Amino acid sequence: MARLVESTITFPYRRSLGPVVGAFMTALTEMRILGTRSGDAVLVPPMEWDPRTGAELGNDLVEVGPSGTVESWTWVPNPSAQHPLAQPFAFAFIRLDGATTPLLHAVDAGSPNAMSVGARVAPRWRGERVGAITDIVCFVLGESAEIEGTDAGPASEPVTRMDYEASITYRNPVPVSADRVIEASQEHRLLGQKCPVCERVYAGGRGYCPIDAVELGEGHEVDLSDVGTITNFSIVTPVQYPGQTETEPFVRAFVLLDGSDVILSYQPVIELPATDVRVGQRVVAVWASPAEDSDEGGAMGGTYGRLIGWMPNGEPDIDDPDLVNRIF
Amino acid sequence: MSSIPCAVVGVGQTHHKSRRLDVSFGGLVREAVFRALDDAEMTLEDIDAVVLGKAPDLFEGVMKPELYLSDALGAVGKPMFRVHTAGSVGGTTAIVAASHVQAGKHRTVLAVAFEKQSEGNAQFALGSGKGASLGAGGAFAPFIRSYIHRSGAPEHIGWKVAVKDRLNALKNPYAHLQIADISIEKVRASPMMWDPIRFLESCPSSDGACAVVLTDEAGGLAAADAGRPPAWLLGASSRSEPPSFPGRDPVRPAAAMVCAADVYAQAGITNPREQIDMAELYVPFSWHEAIWLEAFGIAEEGDGWRMIDDGSTELGGSFPVNCSGGVLSSNPIGASGLLRFAEAANQVRGAAGEHQVDGAKVALAMAYGANSQYFSTWAVGAEQRPFG
Ligand SMILES: [Zn+2]
Repeated sequence: MARLVESTITFPYRRSLGPVVGAFMTALTEMRILGTRSGDAVLVPPMEWDPRTGAELGNDLVEVGPSGTVESWTWVPNPSAQHPLAQPFAFAFIRLDGATTPLLHAVDAGSPNAMSVGARVAPRWRGERVGAITDIVCFVLGESAEIEGTDAGPASEPVTRMDYEASITYRNPVPVSADRVIEASQEHRLLGQKCPVCERVYAGGRGYCPIDAVELGEGHEVDLSDVGTITNFSIVTPVQYPGQTETEPFVRAFVLLDGSDVILSYQPVIELPATDVRVGQRVVAVWASPAEDSDEGGAMGGTYGRLIGWMPNGEPDIDDPDLVNRIF
Repeated sequence: MSSIPCAVVGVGQTHHKSRRLDVSFGGLVREAVFRALDDAEMTLEDIDAVVLGKAPDLFEGVMKPELYLSDALGAVGKPMFRVHTAGSVGGTTAIVAASHVQAGKHRTVLAVAFEKQSEGNAQFALGSGKGASLGAGGAFAPFIRSYIHRSGAPEHIGWKVAVKDRLNALKNPYAHLQIADISIEKVRASPMMWDPIRFLESCPSSDGACAVVLTDEAGGLAAADAGRPPAWLLGASSRSEPPSFPGRDPVRPAAAMVCAADVYAQAGITNPREQIDMAELYVPFSWHEAIWLEAFGIAEEGDGWRMIDDGSTELGGSFPVNCSGGVLSSNPIGASGLLRFAEAANQVRGAAGEHQVDGAKVALAMAYGANSQYFSTWAVGAEQRPFG
């Protein structure tokens, strides 16, 4: 079985809510629930458009609830971290008084025996409300709304945006051929794979030839030189974003390896300032020292295993006018 | 090509801005959709199928937005498709929509594309959520360096394109960037972002959407009879190639050249430079105008920059390019390709307003995406078969 490498991507997205959902969220901070009229119907939560036809609705908002009736429910016996409540609870379709459509929310009923279709429920409001559906912690059985904690009052400004902290964790299998490249990198060897059909050589344990759709494995391995020539490069001015690791312009270089036709793309450089990088420059691979961390996930950031980048080796530049065109 | 003729009878777009905080996702796309429907004198009821395109979901952090938006687009009970070919997606969306009409599967199809960049961060998304993102500029700068080297073009070519497209944008009320005092001096003085690309030689990040209504021959003829000239589809093609392989040339990608040849063959175009009246090319960085003029056979290899230098590609020149202001002036990424296709259609409909090319009868639009590996192109005309 392939080795699995875990990685997590997170980002603080900010949604703009638009006039209708914005009004709904603003009202939640006031402990009011809004619906919208659509003909004889009252849709909750309110929508900008008729969900059946796409026709524009008139933004005719109307207050509903806050109490309502359970129309359907299911029990969640083992809540996960992403569920609205830590203890077992019901997800229920709740038709709020005055609404013609049900709202999906949690009911803190204690036991499934306490839940029934037709049960009356009321919201448990969060004390600190920000303009999100979670301003309603959950619903509780009965007619009386509650407040959890101290009531901090409504939002001081209309709510127009909503923060959404997205996070996803992947467990990616590392292909066997990439694992062999990482393994070879422990001995400071660069492995390539040669396609038996077109004879192109690929670096990084690609595992296939994209031209011939041929699988490449152990039998196709060739040793590559760890000395090469910069053919082209990128000097990136970093834009700041959550998760950005760079603050100063940084270089990514394309390295044509000696004795082969292999280009390593977007390689980090070491001891080579952005102002000094040039086409034709001779470089040698830099390997992580045994104490240093290395990328065990394969070809992330363009390098392979314990290969961490390239530095000038002091040899004179190569003067070849076609070098700059060798990007791939 | 033995397919059913296809006509563009409605075009709509939003005003493009850094942050359209006044609208939701759905509100943004609907703004473009209703403009396109109004233009076509249709309602959502006239639409038989909907095709939606946008760039990677990581841009806004909404997975499968086509599901979330199906009711906003009036697609309930109708076929709904999502297209995804990175930056070229807007163009591919139009081509997929057209192919439903051409195949006789659906009579009238709505193509919609959008991006709401303000909800996330493009550099984050392009860097797969990790630090040290190259961004599009970092990925394309080496290609541009290679082009400059092999063509021998002087550095002011990039600045000229940057100025031309921003001057054109001043004639387009929907365009994001409205830089009234744009000048060569101003572009040259702007910061170097990804050598040799300066800040003002780069596209902005925009929120925006575009929609196009495509229909069959009877629908196109009916629109013409009603005094609303359609744009007839003369040829359409999408092509792709692997992102990297030894010897790949990103300045003249094989996929781009095959894509162009396919469109020209369908349209009966044998001399693009003479037979096409204007083009909307996907130019997110100024030098890509020269690169695509060559890869798409409008200029000889090595000569694309000369068309820029002598003013041929200006509005009023012999081969105007990006009269709308192009991607350099508005870049709602997913919609940017469809905007090219829509603007080309408007030109041959005589509906481009202040940035109309006098007497434009045949127009070309192209979009590209990812590592310069996806290409989508169409040619549209004021007549059904201008070249036999
Ligand atoms: Zn091969």
